[in-house]
Amino acid sequence: MAAETKTLSATHSASQEGEDLRQEHLMHDPKPREEMNGMVMEAMQTTSKKYWIALAIFGLGVLILLFGFWGNQIITGMGVTGKRRPVFWALYITTFVFWIGISHAGTFVSAILRVFKAEFRRPFTRAAELMTTFGLAAGALFPLIHLGRVWTFYWMIPYPNARWLWPNFRSPLVWDFLAITTYLLSSTIYLYLPLIPDLAMARDRSTGWRHSIYKLLALNWRGTEAEWHRLRKAINIFAFAIIPVMFSVHTIVSWDFAVSQTVGWHSTIFGPYFIIGAILSGVSAVVMILFIIQSTMKNMKYFIRLEVFDSLGKLVLIFSMAWAYFFFNEYLLHWYGGYQAVRDLLTFHAQGPTAWVWYTMLICNVAIPWLTLWNRKIRRTPLAMFIITTLVNVGMFAERYTIIPLTLGEQRFPFDWGAYSPRLTDISIVIGTFCLFIFLYLLASRLIPLIPVWEVQEGQMAHSTRKLGKGKVTSVAELE
Amino acid sequence: MSAKSVQMVLYPDTHLDQAAETIHRLRQHGIDDRDISVISGVPYSDKILGRPMSWTRIGLIGLAGAVVGFAIATSLNFGTPYLYPIRVGGQPFFPIPTSIVVTFELTMLGLLISTFLGVFIETITPSYGPKGYSPKVSDGHIGVLFSCPTEKMDEVKKGLEDLKPEWVKNPEAKL
Amino acid sequence: MSEKVEAKKWGMVVDLDLCTGCQACVTACAMENNIPYTGEDETAYGRGLHWIRIQRYWKGEYPEVSPTHQPVMCQQCGHAPCEPVCPVYASVHSEEEQINVQVYNRCVGTRYCANNCPYISRTFNWFDYPHPVPESYSLNPDVTVRRRGVMEKCTFCVQRIRHAVDTAQAEGREIEDGEVMTACQQACPTGAIIFGDLSKKESAVSQAARSQRSFRLLEELGTEPKVVYLKGGGNYGG
Repeated sequence: MAAETKTLSATHSASQEGEDLRQEHLMHDPKPREEMNGMVMEAMQTTSKKYWIALAIFGLGVLILLFGFWGNQIITGMGVTGKRRPVFWALYITTFVFWIGISHAGTFVSAILRVFKAEFRRPFTRAAELMTTFGLAAGALFPLIHLGRVWTFYWMIPYPNARWLWPNFRSPLVWDFLAITTYLLSSTIYLYLPLIPDLAMARDRSTGWRHSIYKLLALNWRGTEAEWHRLRKAINIFAFAIIPVMFSVHTIVSWDFAVSQTVGWHSTIFGPYFIIGAILSGVSAVVMILFIIQSTMKNMKYFIRLEVFDSLGKLVLIFSMAWAYFFFNEYLLHWYGGYQAVRDLLTFHAQGPTAWVWYTMLICNVAIPWLTLWNRKIRRTPLAMFIITTLVNVGMFAERYTIIPLTLGEQRFPFDWGAYSPRLTDISIVIGTFCLFIFLYLLASRLIPLIPVWEVQEGQMAHSTRKLGKGKVTSVAELE
Repeated sequence: MSAKSVQMVLYPDTHLDQAAETIHRLRQHGIDDRDISVISGVPYSDKILGRPMSWTRIGLIGLAGAVVGFAIATSLNFGTPYLYPIRVGGQPFFPIPTSIVVTFELTMLGLLISTFLGVFIETITPSYGPKGYSPKVSDGHIGVLFSCPTEKMDEVKKGLEDLKPEWVKNPEAKL
Repeated sequence: MSEKVEAKKWGMVVDLDLCTGCQACVTACAMENNIPYTGEDETAYGRGLHWIRIQRYWKGEYPEVSPTHQPVMCQQCGHAPCEPVCPVYASVHSEEEQINVQVYNRCVGTRYCANNCPYISRTFNWFDYPHPVPESYSLNPDVTVRRRGVMEKCTFCVQRIRHAVDTAQAEGREIEDGEVMTACQQACPTGAIIFGDLSKKESAVSQAARSQRSFRLLEELGTEPKVVYLKGGGNYGG
C-alpha cells in the first residue's frame, strides 16, 4: 500500500497539480519515517536562550502570582479579593469556566475529529490534548482557590468518616468534582495512550535521563500486532466514551448556575449554550497554540500547514454562529418574558456602566469571526488567525464575566444591587494560572513528542491520488 | 525437541508486500503462526499482513469497570443518605434526577479507567510469541520475528533470500 | 415534606406599616449573635455582616418623597434554595424547628448558598474579625464566634428557641406563646415584629399572619418563606 502511494506521487510529481497537492497537504507530502522522527526529536530537544528565559518568567509567575497571592489569601481571608454581597462569585469562577471551556478543545479536536475520521486532525491532536490536560489542571485549581476554607476542601470528597456523613450528592459542586475528576483522568489517559508508540520512538533515539524516562513511560512498547490491536481498541473506546464525558463536564459547570433561582441564571438552555461557548473558545485556543508552536519550534512548519488553519478557521466560524444562535435564543426569550428583574438585568448588561464588557463579548464572538473568517485568504494567514482567535477568547472571557459577576450584581431587590471590581489578588491569581498553563505547556513541549508521528505516517500511507477523468483526486484508504 | 532460536528480519515499510510474503513462506517452512510476530512503527491490520486476529480483552475489562462504577454510584446515591439522613430544600432523601448525574459520571470513570488498566495489565502479562526488538522498527521498518528450530535455519534463510531481508543480529537484546 | 404534628413551625410577622426604620433590630441582632463590626469602609463596599437589614426605598417624585422600610432577614424557607446546593450539608433544614440552619463548622466556604438565596440574606466572613476588649465582654456565650471563610445568616435566634424549649420540657409543660422572643423583636420600639409558632392557630403570630395585609417576599419562587410581611394601602403608619 505504501509502495503504491510512493509510486503514484512520484509519477505525478512532475505535473503542477501534484506539486500543489503536495505543498497543500501534509498527507500528500510523505517523508520517510526516519526523517520525521528526527524532525520531531530535534524540535523537542532544541532549547534556545529565549525558551529558558520564558520558562523562568512563567515559572516565577506561577510562584509569585499564583502561589504567593493564594497563600496570602488563605492566611488573610477571602476579603483580599474584591468580592462582596451580592457578588459572591466573581473573577475566580469566571476564569474557572474559561479554563474548563479551553479544555474542551483537545477532546473535541482529537476525539470527535477522530471518530469522524477528519484527516486534517492528524498532526495536531497531541497539541490539542495537551491543552485539555493543562487547561483542566489550571481550571481545577479554582474550585480550591475560591473556597473560604480551603484547608477543609476534602470534605467535598466522598470518603468514609467517623460521622458517616457523606457529601451531598444533590449539589452541583459535588457533580463538578466528580465530572472534573473523571474528565481530568480520562483526558490524561487519552493523551497518554496514543503517546506510547511515540515514547518508544523517543526511547530508541535518546540517551541519558531522557532515555530512562521514555523507557519507563513506553511500557516496553515494541509495536507487536497484539500491542497495536490493544492500543487501537483502547483509543477507540476512549474516543467514543470521552465525548459524552466532555459534554457532561461543561453542562455540569453550567448547572452550577442554572439550578439556582438567581435572575438570569435560571435558564434551561445553559447546558448547550455553555458547551458551544466552550468549544468556540477551545478551538480558538488550539489555533493560538498551533500558531505559537509553528512559529517558534523547529521543523513544525512541515507538520502544521496552512490547511490546518484553514480548517480550524471554518470550525471557529461555525461555532461562532452556533454561539450566536444560542445567545440570541436565550436573550430573546428572557427579553420577551417580561419578568421585571430579568428586564432590569438585560438593560443593565447593555446600558449599565459595564456595558463595554457586553459589547466586547458581542463584537469579539460574533462580529469579528463573521466579518473575517469567511475569507479564505484570512483563514490562511496564521498571524491573522492568531489575532482573531485571541479576540474570540477575549470575547468568551467577557461572556463568562457577564454571566457571573455582572449578573450576580443585579438581584431582585434593588436594595441588594452591588458592583464588583476585581482587586490585585483576583487579577494576580488569574494571571498566575495563565502562567501555570504556559509553564506546563512549555515544559511538555520539550519533554514529549508534540507530533504523533505514527498517526501522521499512517495518514500518509492511507492517502493517494487517483486519476478521475482528466483530474487528479485524493483518495483515502481505510487502514483500520 | 530441538533447540529454537529467535530470528528477526527487517524490511523498510515501503516493502510491506515482502514482509507479508515472508510470513507466508515461514508458514510453508512449518513455522507456526504462534512462533511468528510482526513488529512495526505503524499499525497494520491483520488483514494486510495475512495474520490471524490478535487477541484482546480490553472491551470486556472496560465493561467490568463500568459495572463497578455503576455499583459505586448506586451505593453513593442510595446508600449514603441513609447513613445520615438530612433534609435539604424540601427534596426527597433519594432523589432520582440528581442521582442520574452521579451515576453517569462514575460509570464513565469506571469504564475509562479500567480500559486503561486493561491496556496496562495486558502489557505486563507474559505473552506467547518470540521476543525481540530492534530500534530500527520505530524508524520505519517492519520486523518479522520468528523462532525457528536451529536445524531448519539454513533452509529458511535460503527460502527468504530473494526477498532481500535485513537480518538482525541478536534480536533478543534488551530494549 | 414530612411535617410531623408535634414539630413547631416557628415563624415571624413583620408589620411594615409599623416599621419606622430605626435600625434597632439590626443593632440588637448584632449584639445577640456576636456579629462583628466590619467598619465603615467595608460595610460601604457591601461587606457588612448584618443578618437583618432595613431595605429602604423611596416612594413618590421629588419633592414629595417618603421612605418605605422593609426589614429583611433569612426567610427560613420551607423549600430553601440554599440547602440542596451545599456540597457538604452545611446548610440544612431542621425538622424540629422547621427552620433553615447553617452549620458553621461544616462550612467550607463555597458561597454557593449565598448566590442561590433570592433574598441575599446570607453573609460571609471575608476576614477574621477581631472582637477587642471591651467588645469581647459582651459576646453571647450561647452563640458561636465564626471564623474567616464561613457563611452565616439569621437563625431566628435558635439559641433562644432551644433555651425556651428545654426550660419548658424541664418544667414539664407546653411552651407558651410569646415565650420565645427574638432579639430583633425584643428591640423593636413599635412592636412591628411578632415571633411565635405558626402551627398554632391561636398564637399571636398566626393571627397576625392571617391578616388581609399579609404577603410573603418573592412568593412566586415557591420557597415557602416563614416570614410574613404586613402592608396596607399606605393610609396609616409609615
